[in-house]
Amino acid sequence: MGGERMSNYYIHVGSITNAMRGKQLLETEGIRAYLHRTSHPTDGDGCGYSLLVSDRVDKAVNTLKKRGVRVIRVTDAM
Amino acid sequence: MVYWDNAATTWKKPMTVRQAVCQALSLYSANPGRAGHKMSLEAAEQVYLCRQAVADFFGLPDPSGVVFTLNCTAALNTVIRGVLDKSGRAVTSDLEHNAVMRPLAALSDHANRYDVVEWCADEDALVERFRRAIRPDTRLMICTHASNVFGVALPIRKLGELAHRYGLLLCVDAAQTAGVLPIDMEQDHIDYLCVAPHKGLYAPMGTGILLCRESEKIPPLVRGGTGSQSLSLLQPEELPDRLESGTPNVSGICGVRAGVEFVSKLGRDRIYRHEIELLQYVYDRLKQNPDMRLYTPRPQIGYAAPVLSVNIRDVPSEEVAAALNERHIAVRAGLHCAPAAHRRFGTIEQGTVRLAPSAFSSRGEAEYICKVFSQIAEKSLH
Repeated sequence: MGGERMSNYYIHVGSITNAMRGKQLLETEGIRAYLHRTSHPTDGDGCGYSLLVSDRVDKAVNTLKKRGVRVIRVTDAM
Repeated sequence: MVYWDNAATTWKKPMTVRQAVCQALSLYSANPGRAGHKMSLEAAEQVYLCRQAVADFFGLPDPSGVVFTLNCTAALNTVIRGVLDKSGRAVTSDLEHNAVMRPLAALSDHANRYDVVEWCADEDALVERFRRAIRPDTRLMICTHASNVFGVALPIRKLGELAHRYGLLLCVDAAQTAGVLPIDMEQDHIDYLCVAPHKGLYAPMGTGILLCRESEKIPPLVRGGTGSQSLSLLQPEELPDRLESGTPNVSGICGVRAGVEFVSKLGRDRIYRHEIELLQYVYDRLKQNPDMRLYTPRPQIGYAAPVLSVNIRDVPSEEVAAALNERHIAVRAGLHCAPAAHRRFGTIEQGTVRLAPSAFSSRGEAEYICKVFSQIAEKSLH
């Protein structure tokens, strides 16, 4: 089935600057995002920051990528 | 004190800058980009807001391209060593500060790797000189926007067009012009802009900015902790982290943002005109005195940074500066870390006394300076 995922997700973006910029870019698209410290640094490439979004996560990821913010991975916010 | 040494660093700092620094020491004194607690995130936000303000001020679309450095010298070293580390040559002017010349000279230990163009007042002739100096392996055009000694400005936009036409990167040393002369990185074709915010942006010392349009990814001067990608021993590739290792000067950075806002609110052009008009007054008065030596045409808006170098006959410039200091006038004399410029203008033996007003300087101070110069000149005859 198509359509946007509607649960909470962490978009892992790495640096604090990416996170700040990403948050701002998402807010201009009407997507609310919250900054979080990445919980499990050893799962990815180490310490860093994630953006918690609860709606339109696919659009959020596309927006970030299109605007040059590196998206490392997307994980469920369980 | 009559402080006319603003080309070294500006004083006074605006109240808003001082307040921003104090506030940062109280409220934003956690390490940004390292933790998830409230103060760390708030400090990070302040740093990001400064990146944005600086990017907007200089016409850089992406605030990630704003890199905070220790000072403008560190920014220049990062670019020079980064672009030319393995190969290639640079072309530069004969007015450069040692912050440009020393790293170029260090790269030229075994073989000369840079070409120097003699400055001239005719913009098109100067651009042609730069064009003729470009060689097949020239990769970087690096030059001052305006001389820190004589104030003469280079036609950066025309040089940027030339550089890009020949596939070169353009790095501009804007130590004397940021916050004073108009700079737009896109329109001026600037790839790397090096800024001393503690000068024309009225920020605290211990701050520097490198703005990158990043057509080429340059390696860092310093590698270390960035708060990101910590599992890897490789420095992160993306900006600003690639070029920013270690704990940043958060209170200084907050001061930078306040300084940018101060200049924007007062009006960059208004500040510039104020300073040039003060120097024009001084120039006109000193020119009437046959004992005074002036080395440049009358400062003109758009063609000069607000800096004027003078001498009293053959009197050593440091003696004149000492005499001015006794009369509570603060200036810098000597070679100003720019022997190249002094050679160009024939003042390498004597140095010069440099006058550099700020937004806070006044006509009354200018009148006093002229009066004291006359008195010193007369006294030195006896």
